[in-house]
Amino acid sequence: MNSGPALVSILRQGDTLVASVHTALDDSEMVRFQHDLVRQIGEHRARGIIIDVAALDVIDSFASRTLRSIADIARLRGAVTVIVGIQPDVAFAMVCLGMDMGEVPTALDLEEGLAYLSRLRGLGSSHG
Amino acid sequence: MNAENTQDQRQDQGQAELSLSGNQLLPQLVAHLREHRAKLRNEWASRIRDAHLLEAMTPQEMAAETTSVYDNYVEVLETGSVEALQHYARDLSERIIPRGVETHEVVGIVLLLRDVLARSLFEKYQRDFALLNQILDAYEPAANRIANTVAVSFVDERERVIRQQQDAIKELSTPVLPVRERLLILPIIGVLDSERARQLTEQLLSGIRTHRAKVVVIDITGAPDVDETVANHLVQTVDASRLMGASVIITGLSPTIAQTLVTIGVDLSKMNTIGDLQGGLEEAERLLGYTVTRKVVTDGS
Amino acid sequence: MSTARATNEPQESGGAADVAALIPMLRRIVAARIGQHPAAEDLVQETLLRVLAAEDRIEPGMLEPYAIATVRNVMATMWRQDDRDARNQHRIHDPSEPDEAEEVVVASEEQSAITEALRRLTDREREVLLAHEVSGRATQSLAEETGSTANAVAAQLKRTRARLRVEYLLALERTEPPTDRCRAVLMALSSADRRRQREVDAARHLLECDLCARLSQPLLGRGPVRDNEIHVPISADPDIVAARSAAREMAVRAGFAGADLTMLATAVSEVARNIVRFASTGEVTVELLEQPRPGIRVVARDTGPGIADVDRALEDGYSTYQGLGLGLPGARRLMDEFNIVSETGHGTTVSMTKWFDTKGRG
Repeated sequence: MNSGPALVSILRQGDTLVASVHTALDDSEMVRFQHDLVRQIGEHRARGIIIDVAALDVIDSFASRTLRSIADIARLRGAVTVIVGIQPDVAFAMVCLGMDMGEVPTALDLEEGLAYLSRLRGLGSSHG
Repeated sequence: MNAENTQDQRQDQGQAELSLSGNQLLPQLVAHLREHRAKLRNEWASRIRDAHLLEAMTPQEMAAETTSVYDNYVEVLETGSVEALQHYARDLSERIIPRGVETHEVVGIVLLLRDVLARSLFEKYQRDFALLNQILDAYEPAANRIANTVAVSFVDERERVIRQQQDAIKELSTPVLPVRERLLILPIIGVLDSERARQLTEQLLSGIRTHRAKVVVIDITGAPDVDETVANHLVQTVDASRLMGASVIITGLSPTIAQTLVTIGVDLSKMNTIGDLQGGLEEAERLLGYTVTRKVVTDGS
Repeated sequence: MSTARATNEPQESGGAADVAALIPMLRRIVAARIGQHPAAEDLVQETLLRVLAAEDRIEPGMLEPYAIATVRNVMATMWRQDDRDARNQHRIHDPSEPDEAEEVVVASEEQSAITEALRRLTDREREVLLAHEVSGRATQSLAEETGSTANAVAAQLKRTRARLRVEYLLALERTEPPTDRCRAVLMALSSADRRRQREVDAARHLLECDLCARLSQPLLGRGPVRDNEIHVPISADPDIVAARSAAREMAVRAGFAGADLTMLATAVSEVARNIVRFASTGEVTVELLEQPRPGIRVVARDTGPGIADVDRALEDGYSTYQGLGLGLPGARRLMDEFNIVSETGHGTTVSMTKWFDTKGRG
């Protein structure tokens, strides 16, 4: 991932990490992405993660599971993950395949994902 | 112009202007048909009844239409131009096609009129055989041309209507309606086969993206029944919409369909189902408004 | 000269056999020009190599005239070379000097392989082949002799050439094939007979047999070029992505669009991953179908341990990997047709099809 154009970029915005996948990833690249992201969650003490998968033309069983496990790990570290940008065709193929995102929230795109997180944070602070 | 000449011209130019072939005879013919209009038209109408044609029409309609056809018919014989008849035939077709009138009926009534008129010509000229021959030579090509014109107009019109209906059905079968910002309604009307179900899904999912929908109401009040494949498809559509970040409310779920869903192992408690469309829309507004209300609370704290 | 017969031959493709058959004629031609010149045999071999290399481009039946033209060119080149050598004698280094010793060895090995291959044919096969290729007898006249038809003789010649190619390759390797199936598979490939290749499951054999995999390389290109089939070797993660891209590209050509494309690519991803995880090597073949209707067929083959209980593997929730075995049942749901054959210890073949026209879907 260090040579050539970046396959994934991870940007920090306050306490939110925005990870954008730029191209189709093979399994090892997917795993490396998971490690990178999880490490950065710890480093930045992120509270919200947005993973933008709009560039993925296929989300198969491995990609689905990896995304879910990122979200699970993030949750254990106190961060909420939102998956955004799943394309219509991809969403349908995922469902046919029998994959879903479980309890992981999804949103239409980055904008919606950010709105979701800020709403959540609003709720959180209203309790506190 | 002698009879032989007329004959030759008919063969040579079957569809040529009628006036050429019936120079002197046609006016005579037309006068005869005008004179006996009421009698001939009645005879024709009764032949139509006997042949059980156009039974979709009321007697009044029959009377009106047969009179018009008769007058148009005579006019073509007189002027040699089928243009007016063409227009009328299209008009008529447009009116009767939705009533289920078939091509053979339309062709049938025109051929009956041709026969009725030919018989009357026989009667009138039977004593002068040579003249009768000439009259028929002038009449037949014109009559055939009229039958042809009416049939073609009808078929054209029918095809146009069918095409229009197909387009309408295609549109109707995938009506993703943006009711208000962020809210889509997908009313499913009519029989859902798996092909249509696929279309609906593709339409809905891309609709979610285009309209940036947050809530989708799928109303299946109008769907009589679904088989397991389609029920499965419905569930997949709900799940796929969720993956795109939209909540789905299903309304109008009949007990039969609910049973089918349970049979294929769908956990109905995980589906947001509401009795009717009205309730579904209220729920949708609640879902959309929900965030606003909470935000107000947040801001106030 | 026997070139005139070329025109009335039924469609036949050339091959190493045809080229081998040219040797006596080429020797006669070379001998007629340069007599007992020390390079005579080299020129013959050089010609053979050139003809062999150009063989695929040569019209059926035009091999002989092509060879004659080539041998003349080769001789002319030698004369020019001699001439240039004479003029360049004052220079110390001649860059055009070929590595002759090695080439000669290679050439003589090839020639003895051809001789050996010819020897392995049956008497009848050899007789007909030589009568046709060397003596220049037309298939028609050979047919009359045996009470057969010209087409039958041509077909027989075609088979003989296919065999000769196989035996030539085996003789060149100085080896005997390790299994009974090898010759059948190599024959099917050599004769470019797709139906036969499927019958003997050639693709699977090439995965399993190293020798045949190596020997088949020069044979694989035989037959009409088919751009409606892609083979993607699968051994590592990136191959999964390559396989699904190949499938997607092929499907776009078949007219697929939208969700169908994604469903196909996802299914390919699943079966390709199974190869990487469980079998480590295999291949995915993507084939464009025209009959009975347009579609895409994907065949994933591996030589892995096989699946003991295929029925259970197709049930949702069963898996041998990370607790979720959605690969196979999921792929089945994504495609229109799905078939899996697995033999413990031998490997698994998954064939799945997606049809372009959606009518008739269950």
